[in-house]
Amino acid sequence: MDRVIFTPKGTQFLQYDINEHECNINGHHQLDMQSTNQSSLTSTSRGSSESGEPSGDTKWASKLLKDCAKAISDKDSSKIHHLLWMLNELASPYGDCDQKLASYFLQALFCKATESGQRCYKTLISVAEKSHSFDSARKLILKFQEVSPWTTFGHVASNGAILEALEGESKVHIIDISNTLCTQWPTLLEAMATRNDETPRLKLTVVVTENMVRSVMKEIAQRMEKFARLMGVPFEFNVVTGLNRLGGITKESLGVQEDEAVAINCMGALRRVEVEERGAVIKMLSSLNPRVVTVVEEEADFSSPRNDFVKCFDESLRFYTLYFEMLEESFVPTSNERLMLERESARSMVRVLACDEDHQNGTFSGDCERREKGNQWSERLKENFTQFSFSDDCIDDVKALLKRYRAGWSLVQPQENDLGIYLTWKDEPIVWASAWKP
Amino acid sequence: MPEIMDSSTAVNDSAVSGDASVSSSGNQMPPPKAEKKKRNLPGMPDPDAEVIALSPKTLMATNRFVCEICNKGFQRDQNLQLHRRGHNLPWKLRQRSSKEIRKRVYVCPEESCVHHDPSRALGDLTGIKKHYFRKHGEKKWKCEKCSKKYAVQSDWKAHSKICGTREYKCDCGTLFSRRDSFITHRAFCDALAVESAKEPVAPPSVEEELDPQTVDPSPPSPPVQSPPSVPTSSAAISLVLPDQTPALDSTELQDDPIPKSTQIINDTATPVQVASLTASCSSSSNSSNTGSTRSTVFASLFASSTASGSMHSQASGFTDFVHATAQADLIHDLGPSLSIEPTSLCLATNHGSSIFGTAGQECRQYALPPQPAMSATALLQKAAQMGAAATNASLLRGLGVVSSTSSSGQQHWNGQQFESGSASLAVGLGLGLPYDGGSGLKELMMGTPSVFNPKYTTLDLLGLGMAAGGGPTGELSALMTSIGGGLDPAPSYGNAEFSGEKYGRSS
Repeated sequence: MDRVIFTPKGTQFLQYDINEHECNINGHHQLDMQSTNQSSLTSTSRGSSESGEPSGDTKWASKLLKDCAKAISDKDSSKIHHLLWMLNELASPYGDCDQKLASYFLQALFCKATESGQRCYKTLISVAEKSHSFDSARKLILKFQEVSPWTTFGHVASNGAILEALEGESKVHIIDISNTLCTQWPTLLEAMATRNDETPRLKLTVVVTENMVRSVMKEIAQRMEKFARLMGVPFEFNVVTGLNRLGGITKESLGVQEDEAVAINCMGALRRVEVEERGAVIKMLSSLNPRVVTVVEEEADFSSPRNDFVKCFDESLRFYTLYFEMLEESFVPTSNERLMLERESARSMVRVLACDEDHQNGTFSGDCERREKGNQWSERLKENFTQFSFSDDCIDDVKALLKRYRAGWSLVQPQENDLGIYLTWKDEPIVWASAWKP
Repeated sequence: MPEIMDSSTAVNDSAVSGDASVSSSGNQMPPPKAEKKKRNLPGMPDPDAEVIALSPKTLMATNRFVCEICNKGFQRDQNLQLHRRGHNLPWKLRQRSSKEIRKRVYVCPEESCVHHDPSRALGDLTGIKKHYFRKHGEKKWKCEKCSKKYAVQSDWKAHSKICGTREYKCDCGTLFSRRDSFITHRAFCDALAVESAKEPVAPPSVEEELDPQTVDPSPPSPPVQSPPSVPTSSAAISLVLPDQTPALDSTELQDDPIPKSTQIINDTATPVQVASLTASCSSSSNSSNTGSTRSTVFASLFASSTASGSMHSQASGFTDFVHATAQADLIHDLGPSLSIEPTSLCLATNHGSSIFGTAGQECRQYALPPQPAMSATALLQKAAQMGAAATNASLLRGLGVVSSTSSSGQQHWNGQQFESGSASLAVGLGLGLPYDGGSGLKELMMGTPSVFNPKYTTLDLLGLGMAAGGGPTGELSALMTSIGGGLDPAPSYGNAEFSGEKYGRSS
């Protein structure tokens, strides 16, 4: 569906200089065929029937995409046309990693070149919303957690810090700003139920801004309440849905009471706040006087180079290449969940690379996607908080978690000045988890 | 407290020497089971026994006997004495008194604990020590793999050996090797959502509930003894069982269901087995007209799974029930759980025909919403292709489930499903079998008894009942979904969204 928005137009737009680049294209056909064979996905093969000769260059997508981003930045229209056309020929959302990256980044580049980012983004969102349901969301998130520690890493680290910070409290209030559909909480509930001292009263307040998440909260609430009853944890579940952006979050809306021990869980939350509003939101959070704030973010910087398109594109490409490769190794090739995660990334790419102007006009709604790196977040958080170190137990839990996934994942503990812990995949830090106290 | 300690020293020594063998042999058994039995027995000590109240300190004490030369500590004086011998120090081993020692029982020092009451005292020192550690002590032994914590080292050791190999099973049929993903799944699974306001599980016992080794090692009760309130399933079972009983050692099956089930799969290849299995099947399906080779293949497969599954269910299901009733204090709120019991058994009456639908219901809910109107044959073919790639065993589970339908609810097979899909189904079977067949059967075996399990199954059965009315098409597609569903996401690949787009684009 989402391809339809773009493809016919793109083809039209690029039609005229086919002949000019025929040689090049044939060369890439070979590559394409070869990679297609490797990935055992025959349906993505192009019309060409020539047999593929292996070639050393397997990272063709990265090179073409970077060239294209540069051309867009230089406003070199003939080069833009040429590269977009070529990418369009080679890309496929169902191919190998390179083809997928080419496909999704091409979409973002095309939006950037044609200044159609906002329209495209909105269409992508509404397409996603249409096929979205509680069942599909549940299946997606549980499957992802089964095959990759991408989100569970943050869950385990955060839960460890939260349990420790709230130990001995009889009335606890967890404010959950995340999009992981409460999948973090069952293990925490179980831990609270089985801990040695009295089981506390737990109030869980979930802050939701996305329509897609909003639509499934009723089902989630039902399940969380049942599970808490099953576990014997006195439980109150609230959802804050009134906001359409996280920047608008207020102390009042969270319903914090005097006698509660508050924990704030920010799983991929701060990146969804507009860059300009981040300081204010962090300050507001500190005004709740929480026992602990857990912050988990993906390790990428789309924030500081946001006025430099090429730099921002390169960083984006670096991050999503890692992410796509991780998905490829984690899921079977024909996984629908993987496809959904990739499409989610595609929306994020369009948002980051092609929607800035629209946002600055103030006409844009939806979450910001400008990630920052752990050290950047640390700088921001240090203004209102101090570090809450993860305990050895908690670190052990995270290590135990990683052991159960396939090889390639590891935990990197803080260096001297670094705060928090990193999840690395093939030695590249990709997720950062940290805990803070006022 | 010191006085108590002193009195206990003697007890300690004498009891320990007799105890050592008990505790070590205890470790050989599946530990949670062993503990469960000990801990939950009402504790009816000999009224003449001497009641010993040890202080927490004594119970927790480790290495109380310290060597003054090297500071090495020992749990028992006997061991210290032996150690002293190495330093050339004077040593003395206590002689076991030859006269009859008065029986001693031990109470828990924790006042809120049920074993604080002398009438519930525990019969041996090791028992009370372990009890005290487990229930009231710090869990300082942590599993490297799953970070589960234990208070007793031997529990931790026993767990470490099997950690990651055991599987947690949800009512919906999904298996988990990891505890935390199981917990998360439980919270989000529809099996829980179906549950009414009852609270069958108390938090501390979750782990025990998750324990797949709930199979009681006691010998299986013959089918005749099965509760009369399950006529349909027991009828189906008894048709199959007579042929099977000589071929399979049911006691062995019970002891170790996992390897044994694999064994069965292999056995089906041997002519004798096939013959007996086929025989058993044709006897169970004599109302059916499908006597062709093709159906014999099915039949033997079905029979094999039915046989093993049902034997299992007969035995463990029933004994579990007895077990649960006898050890009522295991269940926290005794009243509700007992009152559930007849209901679940009663529901089981229908399950011969409705079990098929269950798997369906679950899978339908997990499937992506826009299910394309694919023909049954197309679905089967898809499934056959997927079967090769599928690493999980739901294929067999699905078929196993079907098998119970085939014996009690023939119409399904003679009806549209069978006609439209049989050929490709055979392909599916062929592809599916070499794969994790063993665990498929195991799943079946573990699954079937759970129908009888007094605590969880109510939910399951509620689900069953609801799905019972599903039409054949729905069931079929659900079966196909279940084949690749569960652990492997492959099947949903076949949905229209994907292929439609793909082809749309390349054309």
